[in-house]
Amino acid sequence: MQPVNRMRTEFISKSVNEGFARVVAASFVAQADPPIDILADIRTAVSEAVTNAIIHGYEEKEGIIVMECILYNDHVEITIEDFGKGIEDIEKARTPLYTSKPELERSGMGFTIMETFMDSLRVESAPGKGTKVHMTKQLEYR
Amino acid sequence: MDVRFKRDGMTLIVTIEGEIDHHTSSLLKEKIDSRFIMEPVKNMIIDLSGVTFMDSAGIGLIMGRMKRVSSVGGKLSIRNPKPEIIKMLKMSNIYNLLN
Repeated sequence: MQPVNRMRTEFISKSVNEGFARVVAASFVAQADPPIDILADIRTAVSEAVTNAIIHGYEEKEGIIVMECILYNDHVEITIEDFGKGIEDIEKARTPLYTSKPELERSGMGFTIMETFMDSLRVESAPGKGTKVHMTKQLEYR
Repeated sequence: MDVRFKRDGMTLIVTIEGEIDHHTSSLLKEKIDSRFIMEPVKNMIIDLSGVTFMDSAGIGLIMGRMKRVSSVGGKLSIRNPKPEIIKMLKMSNIYNLLN
């Protein structure tokens, strides 16, 4: 299937860019005119992925986050990539309510939200190399 | 992001407006916690009618305030969450505890 449109942006891992990233992703996807709740799910999932990159990938230090969105007729593919610490145990990190930073009052729901709000979630990561989160979402009700 | 406070007897009413994410939640927690200590209250109501976006940082904020309020024998409840926020609260299993 040929993409209809594609965009790629990079920004530094400042927490203020969580809002920037979700607005950019939602604005890009909005050209396909999806239902508003689908757009809301995408905003939330992007926010979670970018927040993970900032808190866990770079541990609040400065680094680069790359976001890529590929739009197809009926769905969007979104990847969020950091080049930070990486995840040692992806399965454990994906466990609902698990957080490696309880002192930050994190709910441990980040990956669960991405998984629930999107149609697919794939996580590639290696310690010391970074993390790439791939997500897809259908843009109309099935 | 903006937060306003009102006291009704033993209850602190916290009205949040704007977006709750990791970026805004630290300052929000700080403001809510310091007001909760200052006022002669033990319960808290968080009014979410003006919240236009919330991710898991909001769940963390609510869970943290719930612990704080419970530690003084009080009760936390939430008011007027939008449907997308209800979806998230239900997913994290705290929706029933709050209502």
